Amino acid sequence: MMADLHLLTVLVFFPLAGCLLMLPAWKHPAAARPLALGVMTGELLLALWLYASWQGLAALKPALPGYLLVEDAPWIAAFGIRYTLGLDGISLLMVVLTAFSFCVALVVSWRSIGEKVGLFLTLLLAMETGIMGVFLALDLALFYLFWEVMLIPMFFLIGIWGHGRRIYSTVKFFLFTMFGSLLMLLAIIALHLLHARQSGVATFGLFELIATPLPAGTQFWLFAAFFLAFAIKFPLFPLHTWLPDAHTDAPTAGSVILAGLLLKTGSYGLIRFGYPLFPQAAQTLTPLIYTLAIAGIIYASLVAFAQEDMKRLIAYSSIGHMGYVAIGIAAWEPVALSGSIIQMANHGVTTGALFAMVGMLDERAHTREIGAFGGLWGKIPLWSFFFLIFSMASVGLPGLNNFVGEFLVLAGTFTKAPLVAGLAFIGIVLTLVYMVRLVQEVVFQVERRPLPLADLDCREICVLAVLALLVVWMGVHPAPLLNLIHGPVQLLTGGVP
Amino acid sequence: MTKADLMALMPLIILAVGSVLVLLTGAVRPGGYLYELAGALIVASLLWSLCLPAGAVMPGLAITPFARFFAVFLDSAGLVALLLASGYNKRRAIVGEEYPATLLFALAGMGAACAASDLLMLFLGLEAFTFAFYLLVAIERDSVRGGEAGLKYLLNGTLSAAVLAMGIALVYCSRGTLRLPELAQQPATLEPLFLAGFCLIFLGLAFKLSLVPAHLWTPDVYQGAPAPVTALLSTASKGASAAAVLLILPLMAGWRGGHDILWCLSLATMVCGNLAALVQTSIKRLLAWSSVAQMGYVALAFVALPAGGGRAAIFYVVAYAAAGLASFGAVSVLSDGSDRDVIDQYRGLGYRNPLAGAVLTVALFSLAGIPPAAGFMAKFAVFSAALRAGEITLAVVGVLTALVAVFFYLRVVVALYMSPADGVEAAARRLTVSEATALAIPTLATVVMGVYPAPLLDLLALILG
Repeated sequence: MMADLHLLTVLVFFPLAGCLLMLPAWKHPAAARPLALGVMTGELLLALWLYASWQGLAALKPALPGYLLVEDAPWIAAFGIRYTLGLDGISLLMVVLTAFSFCVALVVSWRSIGEKVGLFLTLLLAMETGIMGVFLALDLALFYLFWEVMLIPMFFLIGIWGHGRRIYSTVKFFLFTMFGSLLMLLAIIALHLLHARQSGVATFGLFELIATPLPAGTQFWLFAAFFLAFAIKFPLFPLHTWLPDAHTDAPTAGSVILAGLLLKTGSYGLIRFGYPLFPQAAQTLTPLIYTLAIAGIIYASLVAFAQEDMKRLIAYSSIGHMGYVAIGIAAWEPVALSGSIIQMANHGVTTGALFAMVGMLDERAHTREIGAFGGLWGKIPLWSFFFLIFSMASVGLPGLNNFVGEFLVLAGTFTKAPLVAGLAFIGIVLTLVYMVRLVQEVVFQVERRPLPLADLDCREICVLAVLALLVVWMGVHPAPLLNLIHGPVQLLTGGVP
Repeated sequence: MTKADLMALMPLIILAVGSVLVLLTGAVRPGGYLYELAGALIVASLLWSLCLPAGAVMPGLAITPFARFFAVFLDSAGLVALLLASGYNKRRAIVGEEYPATLLFALAGMGAACAASDLLMLFLGLEAFTFAFYLLVAIERDSVRGGEAGLKYLLNGTLSAAVLAMGIALVYCSRGTLRLPELAQQPATLEPLFLAGFCLIFLGLAFKLSLVPAHLWTPDVYQGAPAPVTALLSTASKGASAAAVLLILPLMAGWRGGHDILWCLSLATMVCGNLAALVQTSIKRLLAWSSVAQMGYVALAFVALPAGGGRAAIFYVVAYAAAGLASFGAVSVLSDGSDRDVIDQYRGLGYRNPLAGAVLTVALFSLAGIPPAAGFMAKFAVFSAALRAGEITLAVVGVLTALVAVFFYLRVVVALYMSPADGVEAAARRLTVSEATALAIPTLATVVMGVYPAPLLDLLALILG
């Protein structure tokens, strides 16, 4: 019954349909913004409704084990490509995060984007479709299609509304991602052909391809191609250099989506495709992933400490946080993997909020230099209050959301690789160092420059309050989310759900 | 010739006789509705090939499903090019009946080349349309660049025609026949004379397809010719030449050397074309080098012919033609009195002329092979075929050069949307209906083929048997 409603198709293409609504409103920004917000809110409500009813959906037992909703239709028979979408607990968490982040991105850029508003909103909506598709596709070719499609709006978003060296940053971002993806495309086709040669069935379906027995050498190279694509998106050290540029020069909405969602597509891809398709090769490469992640955490923390631009500092902190996600995935063990997935959502919320807050400050002061501020607690107490909350969450203070993810990752990894867990723990201390420096210099200290700053307005308070509540809720009561992903994580790691 | 043969040949006859008709009409009533007449004739030929399924085999020509598919493709491209030219030629004061008449003649030649069943007819078809392009490239009398381009094309073209003719002569010496079906039945070992002839024929075709090293005419000619002519030259003539290659490749099936030659050509073309495009400052030259590079991917599909490369090659050519028509079309509507040729002149144009800007962007994304444009599906088809044929090196090189290509295509998009214009430029001219139609057709085709290529792929599987 539920499958007949094509809910997943609606979930993916509703924002794209919303683009058409933007066309008449193109010349009237005042009408276009609420309309776009309406579309995104509708999408969020649908996602939340799915979340609220996931246990009911699970009880219906759809075609694939562990999945809540599945849609499957032929698409390009000549290539063996099918239109297969599937929603499990992990996808659902990402879908809710996506729908939510887009609302946040739109609201925080309500006033800061004053030019070409129609184009801006159209691109945002198109990108929402692309990202939803990435989190739901179960056909490798379809996944690749969405994976590439989501880049185009982001390319324009940074290039048109960005700051600083926006063109350099956006081209760099695009080329880095394309480099990884194109090799992954070859690997996808190669896997498809190997499967077709062995079984005689031409398919790109994930679950058919998982069953393909591969010789170790082939498996290694195919995994390497997938891993490269995902590691660039992640981003893992030393493939991270596009990230500070893109995040810093992007408009606030772009940074929120980059940090909140685009990085997650990399980790999601590794969890959904990389590890299940090539388990032995992934095992072989695990030490490498550990090393890169630890190096990334320590390197990014040290670099973050030296930053003068607040946005750049938070961008580097992103690399560090995603390092924990990588460690949890590499451990490939239920507790650590759950931690990684929770950490993906946490990082989306916390870092998204931090980018939004720096954006708000930038709108007022027209600078993001740490040295320009100081003593904000006395001048704009509301902003400072929220900034403190999100900074504490970012550090991993118990009771706030990041603590849960990091704790689970470290606890899970400790059983498999104690040394890695120990080194990663040092990273948490380093995070503390640079975040405390940021908060202390900006929020406390004495005023350095007499900047005319107004405190948050109603719109900003609303969006930050929701984010802050989420931070606390996910930190204090993560059990519902853990329950949601428990089944899929067990299935992925080879246990019984 | 029976009545059925005549019916099957009618699309070609309409074009050839129509060409003469347009010339005569122009003589009787100069400045009459010549473009409209030519357009109506192309549509008639198009509808005939599309709607009246008739096959026929006669000396020299075989109207197979393959030929009919290409007839439809060529007529569509010709129609778009004619629509583009009608406004462009008015602005540039290119008057007279020569233009539409020559265009029709070129289409007839291309149609004949795709339907050829012996080498002589293939030669006639190829040289007929090349001859027409000698005129079209240099049709703008006052343009120095146009004259230079025309001369370069003529000199290179006659050389390649001579090579082609020599090759055909050698094949005839060796086998005593020119008929393709008979030539495809090979003896156990291929005679050296035959192989020499075949290689010369292939070299002649490599010139038409601008495969490296026979590509050097391409940037100069594409830059010098009027943009609507370049639009046709870079798409339809490439399509017809690719069809000709597909017709003669069975002659060397199983000869390892043929595979090696194609392999080298494909590699050199992908690498040279994409690297050379990186440093261009003129948009027409950039698109010219890009078209060289794109043919490298078609050649890659030819390498993979035994593994389903034929379908990939045709799909690639069609997707490329849609993007090529759209991009050169956008350039031609954006060029008013003088050519808008330097990439910097495109700054901010995406906002001043939204339709042309959007069309150019979609075309560039398609050429770069980024979904959801058709170019992605085309690259997907080619790389699948290449990997199936075991050509891993070529596939990896192809992917890496495609990455290089992304960079130079993005440069144009950056200029269109992300760089502010220098100074104040006048508001853009409103596009006429025919120009908007000419831009919309290939753009829609690009998007539709990118999102739902299944019908075309099934059709191609059908016509290739």
